Amino acid sequence: MAAVATSHINAVSNKKIWHAQYPELGTGPVPIEPYISQEYFALEQERIFRKVWLNVGREEEIPKPGDYLVKDLPACGTSILIVRGKDGRVRAFHNVCSHRSNKLVWNQGGSCQMFACKFHGWTYGLEGQLTFVPDEESFFDLKKGELGLTAVAADVWEGFIFINLDPQPQESLREYLGEIGETLKGYPFATYSATCYAWTTELRANWKILKDAFQEAYHVAFLHKRSIPDSFTSKSNPFAHGVDYKLYPRHRKMAVYGNMEHRPTPVEKMAFQFGSLIIRNDYSSTLPPGVNPTRDPSWALDLNVIFPNFFVDVSDGTYFTYNMWPLAVDRTLWEVRTYYPKAKDAGQRFSQEYSKVIFRDVIMEDCSTLEQTQSVLASGAKTHFVLQDQELLIRHDQKVHEEFVGFYKNKNKRGKKGVTANV
Amino acid sequence: MSERLLPESFHDLEPFAAAWSLATEKERNRKRLASTMTEVQEFYNAILPRMEAVIAYLNQFPLDAMPADAQRLLYLTFSLAEVSTAVELFKQPSVVDGYDAARFVPIHK
Repeated sequence: MAAVATSHINAVSNKKIWHAQYPELGTGPVPIEPYISQEYFALEQERIFRKVWLNVGREEEIPKPGDYLVKDLPACGTSILIVRGKDGRVRAFHNVCSHRSNKLVWNQGGSCQMFACKFHGWTYGLEGQLTFVPDEESFFDLKKGELGLTAVAADVWEGFIFINLDPQPQESLREYLGEIGETLKGYPFATYSATCYAWTTELRANWKILKDAFQEAYHVAFLHKRSIPDSFTSKSNPFAHGVDYKLYPRHRKMAVYGNMEHRPTPVEKMAFQFGSLIIRNDYSSTLPPGVNPTRDPSWALDLNVIFPNFFVDVSDGTYFTYNMWPLAVDRTLWEVRTYYPKAKDAGQRFSQEYSKVIFRDVIMEDCSTLEQTQSVLASGAKTHFVLQDQELLIRHDQKVHEEFVGFYKNKNKRGKKGVTANV
Repeated sequence: MSERLLPESFHDLEPFAAAWSLATEKERNRKRLASTMTEVQEFYNAILPRMEAVIAYLNQFPLDAMPADAQRLLYLTFSLAEVSTAVELFKQPSVVDGYDAARFVPIHK
């Protein structure tokens, strides 16, 4: 048990201490243009999604040789086939037949010994090699050895599978994740990933509108006043100020305050009794030092925002992830997953069920706002968002975006008049 | 005579079994949204005080090898989880100002 000492001293502060630590980010309003500009969207695809490491799943989804999953990336104009080879290694390929570029695998996942194209029967092994061509004799100088599937860089970190569409990735996955990856070392991802509940939805909103909504807690007291009225706020911390913030070159982290005096509802109390939930009064410090780094006893969870589109939000006993996949400037495919250890009995299973229902219903409140925001974003009524100290992560995200996209840099070079990026 | 769906010691919950003992989250959520608050509240009121006994009973079985009637009872507890937010938080079947539940698609059961 952690001693109740300097409890959430940062969270009760209203001294705007977080921006003060990162003066290079400034404090002015940030432009809306990146959320509605077609040009900006195209640049994101080219300079972010085709260049950096992207999380596409977890190892548990493809445990055995021959297990595969398919990740469609329509905004990048491709689909990726991720497969575990006979040697146990996870590989990724463009899901494109070498013959006349038919999409090779049409379903979302499964298990097989080989992949046969539905169009003309070209067949590939689990390591991507072309193994069979019907009527091979009728082709001209066919070099089968050179006609395997087009490989895509793939690597695994803490059980999370990442791919990189760049034919020559600029850095390894570990280099890319850098320090934030280190902070999660020792977190029991393997144990907690035994059970996964997942949802998917296609939202009419820019993918960054989604990201922004889940990297600040300012909205909790208002948007979630019915669903989680006192879990992340309290009398001493009415606006859900974070207990800690940390920015990395591309990624970022926020330790979210948890109200230990939270009064559970009757069913929530049952769920407490039979299993574990996010807000708990027996917070233990068995988690690695990088999680809840200040060891604040009033801690609920850490948000870990991995650039560009992956959230790994960790708590004591459970974690959840988000992947935001842009489909168009105003459309996003969103994948939400919550993970729990294997339930040992019916009581723990019930507890998980409660936990996922409340989690889902809170998200239903978020989703409405995301689409409502997007529906008026292009009105031109506003050109900028106004951000407060607790919205530091959003400001940082915009800066990282601009570093990759270079939209305003080029704009200024071209001497165009327009909104000035405060990024 | 209709067939008994739940273990004998929980015959008081039998009237709710056919409607609320549902195997998937999608079905349970649909049932919640298709019900009136009176129906939801009635089910909630019936099962909540029985939960300690229900869980104690179910905990004697391994989760992956439950007798069919116990399995149905377990699904009934999942429906309590499902309706709890309607009763305790939103005071209506759907999430207040919430997103269209049919568009938020569970991949799991």
